[in-house]
Amino acid sequence: MLLRGSFYWVLKALLSHYWRHPWQTLFLIVGLMTGVGLWSAVQIINSHAEASYQQANSLLGAQATYWVRSQSEQGVSQAKYIELRRAGFRQVFPLIEIEVSTSQGDPISIIATDLFALPGELLDQDAIDVGTNSASDWLDFIKPPYRAWVPVALAKELGLQRGDSLLLRDGRKLPPALIQSRSQQGRRVLMDIGAAFELSDIHRFSYLAVGKISPAQLRKLQSLLSDDLVLVENQQHLDLAQLTRSLHTHLTAMSLLSFAVGLFIVFNAVRFSLWYRRETFLNLRLMGVEVPKLVVAILLETLIWSFIGTGLGLLMGMQLGQLLLPALSASLHSLYDATLAGIIELQFDTLFKAWLITLFGLSWALAWPLYQQLKTSVFSANSTVAVEDSESGARRNLAVGALLLLICAAVLYRRMDSTTEGFILLALVLFAAAWLLPALLALGLRLCSSFLPEKSLLGRWLVSDAWSQLPAFRTAMMALLLAMTANLGVGTLIDSFRGAFIGWLEVRQSADLYVRGLETGRLQLPGSKISQTWLADSHARIGVSTRWRDRPTLIRGADTRAPDSLSFPLAQWLGESPGDALATWRNEPGVVLANEQVHYLAGIKIGESVRLETDEGLQNYRLVGFFYDYGNPYFQFYLPYAEVEKRWKQSYSRGIALWLKPDSGGGKSSLQLAEDHLRKQGLQAGDWISQAEVRKLSVNIFDRTFAITSAMNALTLIVAGIALLASLLAILQERLPQFAQWRALGVRQGEQLLIIACPVLIFVSIVWILAIPLGALLSWILIHKLNIISFGWSMPMQWEMAPAWQLGLLVLAVVFITLLLAMLRLRHGLAEALAQLGIIT
Amino acid sequence: MKISIATLLVLLSLPTSPAQNDYQVLRGEAQGFARVIPGIPVEFPRDHMAHPSFRIEWWYITANLLDDSGNPWGLQWTLFRNSLDPQADSGGWQSNQLWMAHAAISSPEGHRFEQRFARGGIGQAGVSDIAADGNFSAWLDDWQWRSDGLQLFPSNLVFSVAGQQVDMRLESSSLWVTHGDRGYSQKSVQGQASYYYSQPNIQISGTIRTGNKTVSLSGSAWLDREWSSAPLAQNQPGWDWFALHLDDGNKLMLYRLRENNGDHWLSGSWISKDGSKQHLRRDEIELIPIHTREIKIGEKRAIKLPLEWTIKLPGLDRQWNVKALYDEQWMATRFAYWEGVVLVEDASGQSTGVGYMELTGYD
Repeated sequence: MLLRGSFYWVLKALLSHYWRHPWQTLFLIVGLMTGVGLWSAVQIINSHAEASYQQANSLLGAQATYWVRSQSEQGVSQAKYIELRRAGFRQVFPLIEIEVSTSQGDPISIIATDLFALPGELLDQDAIDVGTNSASDWLDFIKPPYRAWVPVALAKELGLQRGDSLLLRDGRKLPPALIQSRSQQGRRVLMDIGAAFELSDIHRFSYLAVGKISPAQLRKLQSLLSDDLVLVENQQHLDLAQLTRSLHTHLTAMSLLSFAVGLFIVFNAVRFSLWYRRETFLNLRLMGVEVPKLVVAILLETLIWSFIGTGLGLLMGMQLGQLLLPALSASLHSLYDATLAGIIELQFDTLFKAWLITLFGLSWALAWPLYQQLKTSVFSANSTVAVEDSESGARRNLAVGALLLLICAAVLYRRMDSTTEGFILLALVLFAAAWLLPALLALGLRLCSSFLPEKSLLGRWLVSDAWSQLPAFRTAMMALLLAMTANLGVGTLIDSFRGAFIGWLEVRQSADLYVRGLETGRLQLPGSKISQTWLADSHARIGVSTRWRDRPTLIRGADTRAPDSLSFPLAQWLGESPGDALATWRNEPGVVLANEQVHYLAGIKIGESVRLETDEGLQNYRLVGFFYDYGNPYFQFYLPYAEVEKRWKQSYSRGIALWLKPDSGGGKSSLQLAEDHLRKQGLQAGDWISQAEVRKLSVNIFDRTFAITSAMNALTLIVAGIALLASLLAILQERLPQFAQWRALGVRQGEQLLIIACPVLIFVSIVWILAIPLGALLSWILIHKLNIISFGWSMPMQWEMAPAWQLGLLVLAVVFITLLLAMLRLRHGLAEALAQLGIIT
Repeated sequence: MKISIATLLVLLSLPTSPAQNDYQVLRGEAQGFARVIPGIPVEFPRDHMAHPSFRIEWWYITANLLDDSGNPWGLQWTLFRNSLDPQADSGGWQSNQLWMAHAAISSPEGHRFEQRFARGGIGQAGVSDIAADGNFSAWLDDWQWRSDGLQLFPSNLVFSVAGQQVDMRLESSSLWVTHGDRGYSQKSVQGQASYYYSQPNIQISGTIRTGNKTVSLSGSAWLDREWSSAPLAQNQPGWDWFALHLDDGNKLMLYRLRENNGDHWLSGSWISKDGSKQHLRRDEIELIPIHTREIKIGEKRAIKLPLEWTIKLPGLDRQWNVKALYDEQWMATRFAYWEGVVLVEDASGQSTGVGYMELTGYD
């Protein structure tokens, strides 16, 4: 007999479960929150990054459509700049870029401009990223002693507070710091032109930026430039979107993995709610509630949870996005020289997508199992045997599903050629392993029991208790396997890359000093007489930036007989050995070396010809070697110096590398003599960098490059830890009355702990053992397939066991914390549990 | 008196907003800066050039023009100089001089304006040394007022506002007019003052080009020169200023510094067509706002401004009504104010002249 408004009561009866079992409710919420939170955090920062690329053609908040640069790398004179301003080119503003080293040897990039000359509204608050920018800050900025505007993240790294003056290696100091930045300042320190001139003593601008300009004005501007000055179009925003696509796909994939792990928690929580609500369903059906009404109630419940999950998840995602932003900024800056604004915003698009994905996840993890339950609740047998039967059936089904996934993976592997397909392959492999896991866990238990002596009662109890817990642990173990595998795989990728990168640095950066800066074009090296004292060898390079296959490309002119050219680290070569290929490059005309990116991203093979656009038209060059070029998003070609100088008139000095003689003992060291010589030539500390510094810089850049990957990796593991914690706590909570019963039967606390802990440890150990080969497989796919498709560089895989041991210990720690919590609860909840026992028995 | 916005440059050093605060720097002591002292007469050409030891200074040109069809137009071009501190200017990128320029065109098609900023010391903006350079020049980027020789006139004024290119020729052979006591212009009973002189008799003609369309214009212009270190008293929130070209050849400059207690400071100069000047003290001027109207000053903001006035000079037995030619002549610059063309009528409503009016401190 049903009353009017019975639907309300049906819904209430269904939802009352969550009131009565707050732990499960909590885990459901935690699962949703972490899954949606991590996914949306990445979505938010990805769309934020895309928005930033749109603004990338601006600099310091002003548009920069063109650059005015000196071909001879002499910079632009003040007189030329003022001439252009007075000719009405108000969109032209001056910029100076300086590299300095702190007293600790950390490299700092400085960008200087005249804020009053920037096009656009002078005191436009929108251009300020961080902090309140009062008018007095602007005046302090342009007046001695000036101010150095340091972005928050950089200030944190350097330990700088407002008002601190950063001490540089050569004893000079930066102006007092103000912790704030302008948009597109990136990780650079911003200061006034006046301050930069005082710091560097060079009174020329590195280049001029040109804001929005009409074609007619552009022609006029071109006509006013002297022979040495050229207009270079700023295509940064176009390039960035193209270059960073792979990185964002990586992030999206990792966030989807986190979402999947989060869903496992939800799935786990729902499992228990199913168990508990079986009676509710039964009663409702017996009371005559029709199935459609129950279906609608389940859908409504799903909808309610989707709103709660989306809301809380997005809240967490926003916070997490803000936390991850510095890591992403660092990665983007290192890889692509891209800068991100500091404040993120939630867009409607992300909100809607988050809700959709939550609804989809909940339909799979909550609504579908509930519906299945509903269908079977009246007639199904409520016996342990039936449950076990259905469990072994589920294990079988999952194993079959896993095999199907593996077949799909094998098919995809053969024809994979995009980053997205690569991640689909990874997902197939990971989920196949996860679905195979319950069967493997069961196999593990069978093996355990077969090795147990007949008379070991405790042992048999342990194993049979493990069998009974297997269904409950299934999803948590799957989540753990996914997270551990991903962690090991990505960890190995990073370690392999680091190893390869450092080895490569040692070969590529073999010189003792690298001289750069405006004046290198004019650098005079000592003649033979003086060179006897300190200079062993030198290598002057020139280069030109161009586009090839619609991607930014660098063409370099190198001295083919310089020490570093003789040991070019080649990944592929034409002929018997790398030495043969390098000899061909040295001795034969029309031969070129290219970075691996040309091979993997442009599909050029060794021995083929590439057509490069020179001043004299298209020119063919035969490719005799691909060299490793880690971290470079651009194509790069190496040609003999004379060839580049002849064919590309716009090429200019790209620095000189100096090899020093060993110290002769007594008097000044070779390094001191070299530095004295450079100073005499009008160069300043900061215009050259030593090998040690350049290595430190490179390794720093490397670490920053993987900052976001490491952060995401750690977060996924944390989510898996929460999944494990949630399911263990839920299981132990459910079994409290059982434990109380044992206690009543005289089982001691130690024995009880053993019985609770052993099955968990058996499962976790199996998962850990399985995660090791899977992790290796994952990293193999990442290194040999995905990395090459995404970034175009290859490296050997370096597998080590230490991270696997660390991970094992970490998981053990989570298990022990959970057990400790459970034992504490047991102690406190014993009276209540015993009371429940009384009711149950 | 155009103590106007230049002052506002200094205001960069203050927290922004309430209008009252924007003008704070004009008030009180300006420690270390040169002071305005009575009894030091202005001298030419020395005082046409910059006075960096004073905190603020401006070269202020306004012009009333007619096109070939007889439509009234107005032009404003102002260069402001500001010293950021009392130290001597070290020049170069270390210079403590900051420049700002405002320009506006009032035309039958509407009111357009622009503002520009530049630092001193690097040649991007400044005022030339007449003797050394052989002529007078005041500029910021490509906005430029440049004379043919050692005198300020004849000269060319070239600037652009929102795509309209202004090219004007300025000529004058009249005597300079010093306000107050030989250029010492008092601003309050407490003794605030500035050095202030004008050239009210400038013949101006030239063109304004917009794309392919060129309009020829001619009329009368007025130059104000003023410098000080602290011209406002603490209780003065703003001012109302008038520079009128009367049809009978006489000129009138007067201003009212509004005081919070209602006891406003008034001052002015009556300049006869023969060039002689009569100083007008506060008790010789009656300035009465007769019509206040609301104008839009932003997307969502509007303010009420006194856009029609009655001016009485009882001592000279003269009276005029002055009203804005267009209400919408608001300068929504970083430091905003109303500045625009006004029409002058006698008591019977007969047109008797044109001029410029400036209203500050109302927003």
